[in-house]
Amino acid sequence: MERDTLEVTNVTMPPRTCDDYWSEFRHCKSLWNRFHNYYAHGTSPSCGQWKEDYYSCREWEKNPGPETKESLQQSERNREAEQRKFTPVWDLRRDPPRDWHMPLHQGKSPDSQS
Amino acid sequence: MDQTEQQEEDYGYNLFPERNSGKFQKGSIAESLFTFNHKCQVMLQFAMETSPYAKLLLGAMKSSGCAVYKDRHFSCEDCDGTVSGGFDATSSQIVLCQNNIHQQSHMNRVVTHELIHAFDHCRAHVDWFNNFKHLACSEIRAANLSGDCSFHNEVSRFNFGLKKHHQECVRGRALRSILAVRKVSREEAEKVVDEVFDTCFNDHAPFGRIPHDKKDAKFAYRDFENRDRYSANL
Repeated sequence: MERDTLEVTNVTMPPRTCDDYWSEFRHCKSLWNRFHNYYAHGTSPSCGQWKEDYYSCREWEKNPGPETKESLQQSERNREAEQRKFTPVWDLRRDPPRDWHMPLHQGKSPDSQS
Repeated sequence: MDQTEQQEEDYGYNLFPERNSGKFQKGSIAESLFTFNHKCQVMLQFAMETSPYAKLLLGAMKSSGCAVYKDRHFSCEDCDGTVSGGFDATSSQIVLCQNNIHQQSHMNRVVTHELIHAFDHCRAHVDWFNNFKHLACSEIRAANLSGDCSFHNEVSRFNFGLKKHHQECVRGRALRSILAVRKVSREEAEKVVDEVFDTCFNDHAPFGRIPHDKKDAKFAYRDFENRDRYSANL
């Protein structure tokens, strides 16, 4: 599987394309985004990390050393951790609900609970 | 579904009188002539194909093992009052109120809102009927992430607010949704919303951010499409 191959031969490319980092930075700094951030959170957005990541990405492409890779990867891991900074109110499923794909019935019985 | 009338009222099914039987037979000429069914179907198809919000949710659900099929998982029906749509967990169906959705932008928003409920149903053990915290959480997420509370939509409702108004709107709309489908006092509903607000407002799955507009949603969709490369290179 492609994923196993990548893990065996070490990480070979940045998690996002460098253009993506730059476009995220520009998007973050845009007037609309600053407005939306104030509207949602009451603060200005913090965009510096995207710019740093862009430069790390360029550096990765030119000189793919372990420090450059680690700096960019750590930044992304921090970004992911920010998205998980809460305790869920529900338990996650291991499998999808059993009746998701079951056909509909007219006058269904009430036991089709997941 | 053999529920008693009392149960139907308790769980909001009375808002969707066509859940068990419609006025006209599905696919009949009478249905096309006397209802907005065809228009609803066309707008739904357009939303699924072009809205970055909907495309991302459909993709995320497919990845989670809940591929969505238009004919199985969506139903355009006439509904009571001003309700725009709903998610029926017992039949795993999203109901779209064809008599109350007349603009494509509204359809896009309703589809996104209900897909968020479906996504929660797919990825978590959500106890829709007995656990108010679960219901409140999904409503908070749906109001937060569907564009329901965008500045533009709030202004069109004459709700003017700026700093952190988005959060006020999300609270208010989640509360309204709960009160519409459950027989519970306003105080009790407010208490539950307060309890789970912080955690659920910060749960942005599967978007990874709050998509305030189409551009945000497109960025989120791009991230979703590149998720394999992303996770492989962390």
